[in-house]
This record gives sequence, structure tokens and C-alpha cells, in this order.
Amino acid sequence: MTTEPFLLDEDITAQPEHVAPRSRWADLPVHLTLLIIGLAIATPIIISFFISFTPLRELVSRANPSILPDTWTFDNYEKAWNATPFGRFVLNSFIQTGIITAAQVLFSILAGYAFAMFEFKFKNALFAILIGSLIVPFELTFIPNFLLISDLGWANTYAGLTVPFLASAFGVFMMRQFFLSIPRDLYDAAKIDGASDWKYLWAVMTPLSKGAISAFTIFAFLSAWNQYLWPLIITNEENMRTAQIGIRFFLVNQERATDWGAIMAGAVIVMIPTLLVFIVAQKQLVKGIAASGLKG
Amino acid sequence: MAARVERIPKKRFSGPGWRPTAKAYVYLFPTFFILAVFVYFPIIESFRLSLNRVAPFGNQEISVGFDNYRRLLTSPDFWDTVKVSVYFMIGTVPVGIGLAVAIAILLAYPLKRLNWFYRTLIFVPVVISSAIAGTLFKLLYNPVVGFFNHWLSIIGIDGPNWLNEQNWAVVAVTIAVVWRQLGFNVIIALAGIQAIDEQLYEAAKVDGAGVFRRIWHITLPMLSPTLFFLAVVNVIISLQAFGEINILTDGGPGRGTTNLVYQVFVDGFVGTRFVGRASAQAFLLAIMIIGISIINFRGLRSRVHYQ
Repeated sequence: MTTEPFLLDEDITAQPEHVAPRSRWADLPVHLTLLIIGLAIATPIIISFFISFTPLRELVSRANPSILPDTWTFDNYEKAWNATPFGRFVLNSFIQTGIITAAQVLFSILAGYAFAMFEFKFKNALFAILIGSLIVPFELTFIPNFLLISDLGWANTYAGLTVPFLASAFGVFMMRQFFLSIPRDLYDAAKIDGASDWKYLWAVMTPLSKGAISAFTIFAFLSAWNQYLWPLIITNEENMRTAQIGIRFFLVNQERATDWGAIMAGAVIVMIPTLLVFIVAQKQLVKGIAASGLKG
Repeated sequence: MAARVERIPKKRFSGPGWRPTAKAYVYLFPTFFILAVFVYFPIIESFRLSLNRVAPFGNQEISVGFDNYRRLLTSPDFWDTVKVSVYFMIGTVPVGIGLAVAIAILLAYPLKRLNWFYRTLIFVPVVISSAIAGTLFKLLYNPVVGFFNHWLSIIGIDGPNWLNEQNWAVVAVTIAVVWRQLGFNVIIALAGIQAIDEQLYEAAKVDGAGVFRRIWHITLPMLSPTLFFLAVVNVIISLQAFGEINILTDGGPGRGTTNLVYQVFVDGFVGTRFVGRASAQAFLLAIMIIGISIINFRGLRSRVHYQ
């Protein structure tokens, strides 16, 4: 899609500077409103944490649902981890996500560099084709891709989970934009010093682009980890499921037993990596999203 | 002879040569190879598949022209799925954007502290997958251990049977989708608000405009490119809702929450596979989505602009 209204360098996490002197309590209504809204939005996640520590007998016996457990237990995590091979699902997700993220970042740097620095035949046409791919919805490609991957015998393999997603047009676009912002003088100077393009890319460009690269890495990681439809159709063997698919089948099995503690423990396990990324790298993530307009 | 010498040789500008081109193509190759095989080729293949049908006996694929499309467009079942898609769109887009803008205006307020804390709470759905969103809300909707109906009963409302009544199931899925999308929408809206020139507010203040007048006459008009962008993205996302439906309702009760995407999934991948019909529906859906995306590209460039 488009990025026009949102500048890459715009830092929406920064504090505004024009704070006029006000009395201490003038902000209170805003604080209260934001606190209530914030808690309301985070409630489904907060509840899942508490329920995951609530013993089953407490869940089914109490008259009214309560958020906080009376007694805390780790049983649900043990159950979720053992009842399904959740360890295997999480491992699969890490392998799948790792391959996709690494490839997307690497290939996007390479292609973004070419579009930013080189002159070559059909440059504009190729760039238009690249950007055009951003508006092709998943629905249009997943049936032929499923048939192709199946014909290759890649169903239920890591190749089947990852190969269709090894490139990212958005990543190329983002890298190109950032590389273009680096002064061309540097490139010319390096050329005079006899540096090759390849060397210049890895010795100068990528170190200067750490911010943009890490923002895209986070973005790619989250998109890959949160994938749902593709891993659902391309895997049907239990030991090749990703964590997102695992939670779906675990939910179907446990729901009859109303074992919501174990289900929420599973959900928390699946959420933890993304929540950690969110807490550690919120700033880059928010920048990346404000720059993209792409999610899911 | 003399005439030939005097003629200035017209050197046509031939652009970059093949040598730099070859080098650039090496850098481009991985990306374009993957895109060619898994994006560009499937567009054509998808259309070809939509013109085929598996013969009733044997596994022979036969070409049926546009018969899959003709059957779809004359089938009430197809229009039911379109209707469900439209319901999700009407349910999610105005509410999702309205909430996001209101929250973003509050977040743009220059608080001295705790800003990061509120942002963390409000942005967090952005990292949650559709599958997890479905799972969390399935607990909240649960009639026995769930929380929604319990909270409703506190204020004296007898809550519905969320996932088992057709109309409420649509609402239930809509709420989950709005929630999952909210963090993203607030981030975009906030970026738009913070890009507005501060001097406009100062000038309005000098003229004696109150908070609400400033929001109505400055923030919202200046935000219109962002709002347009959000509308387009949210329409597309609502048309593509899948994970929440798969986990919350499995398309039910009946076919009450089976939208177009879900029907493509059911036809293509559940039980007997109807690849031709699934592809035809996918193609119709894709045309809608691509059309909306193109409107977005053009609209942002020309129509809704104030600078």
C-alpha cells in the first residue's frame, strides 16, 4: 500500500516538546480516561494471564467468574506443554519464523540496494511490478501455491512453510527508501577509494541503516510468527504444526473439557515471544507500522 | 561527402548498459524469483483454475469456461457469503476507525508522564495474531466461565448466547476483529495527528476556539488523508477476516459467519475439494480488494488533500 502520509523518521513515541506549564491536577481527567481505555483494551490479555494460573476445579466450581485466582498453580502450563507437543509447535514456529525473517531481511537489503544505488535496464518497470505485488491479496495466490507446494512434495515440511514467504516487496521498498536517504557522496568517495559495491553495502550502508533494518526485522518476525491460514492448510501432521495452529487444535480438544486454564496457558505460550518483542522494541515496531500500513 | 561530415551524429541516449544491468539483476534475483513463483504466476494460475472443474467421475480436470462464475453469481449461497462479508465490513470499519481516532486524540495530549504506559496498553493488540485474538475472545464469550455475560449481568443485562445465535455470532466476530485491529489503527491515526502543524491549533486558540471546535475544524479535516487510508486498509482487512472466524465460530452457526474468504477455505480445503469454485470465488474477492487498493493509491494522491 502506500506510505505517503507517514514519514519513516517520524517518531510518534517521542514526547511533544511544547508542554505549557499547567497545574499539577489539570491532566488528571486525561490520565484517568487513558488508564480506563488502556486497561479495557489490554483486558483480554490480562485475563488470559490470570486464568492460566487458575486451577481447573476453581474455574468450574465458582458461581461467578473472577479474574484473579484464589490459589495460584503452574499445572495448566504443565498440562498444555505435555498434552500436545507444544514444545514441538513452538520449535516449529521458531524455525519457520527464523527462516522467513532472515531471508526477507537479507533479500530486501540486496534488492533495496540495487533499486537505490544502481542504474539498470527496466528499473522503473521492475519497481512498478514490485510495488504492484503489494496489492495482490493472499486469497488470489494461496490455492495455486498450495497445489504447487503439494506437487513438490513440500507439504508438512519447513520448506513448504517458508519458501513462499522468503521475499517481501514491502521490505525492499522500506530498505530502498532508507538507502536513498544516505548521502550519495559517501558512495562516490568509497568508489574513488576503490571499494566494490558489495563491500560498500556491507561495510557502510548496512551499519548506517541499523534502525531501518531492525524495524523491518521486527515487522517480518511478527508477521511470520502470527501467520495462520497458510500453516493451517499446508500442514496436517501434528508434529509439523506451528504454535498458532497448535493452539487451535488444543482449543478444540480442551474446550469440551472446559479446561480453560490449560487453553489460556497455551495461548500465553504462543503470545510470549510477540509480547516480549513488543515490550523490548515498541519504538521500532511503532515506527515500522506507521511507515507501512500493512499488517496480517 | 562534405554534407555527411557536417551532420552531427545523433547519439541516442541508450540508458544504462547491460553490464551494470546484469550486476543489478544479481541483487534483485532472490526477491523477484520468489515473487514470480509465488505471487505473479499464481495470479494467472488462479484464473486458469477458476475456469476448470473436476469432472464428476474420475479426477479429470475439464475446462468449463465461465461456468463456475455463472453458477456462483446465480447461487443464493454465494450471495449469503457476500452479505456476511459486507456485515463484517459495516461492523468493523466505522467503529474501528472512530474508536482509534478518539483514542489517538487523547494520546496526542501532551502528558508529562505515564505516556509510555498508556501507549503500551493501547498498542498491544498489534502483536496479537488472529488465532490468539479468537482464542482470548472465545473465553470471554463462554456462557459458563466467560466474562462478558457476567459483566453484563452486573449492569442488569441478560447477555446473549454469543456464538450460537446467528446475529450475535456476527457481532462477536466483529468485536474480536475490531480489537485485534485497534492497536494498528491508533498508531496510524496518532502518526497522522502528530504530523499536523502545531501553529494551526495556536491560531485557533488565539481566535478563542475550544477543544471540540479545534478537533472538529482542524484535527479531523487535516486528518482526512489518514482517515481515507485507514478506511481502505480496514475495509480490506475486514474482507479478509479469517482466523477469528475459524476459531470462534468455524463459519457457523449454520453458515451465519461464513464470509467469502471462509467459503474459499471450505471449498478449497475442507472435505471434498472444489478447486474451480474456490478459485472463482477467490478471484472475485481479489478483484474487489485490488479495486479498493487502486482507489487508495489514486485517492491519496489526488482527492483528499489539504496541503
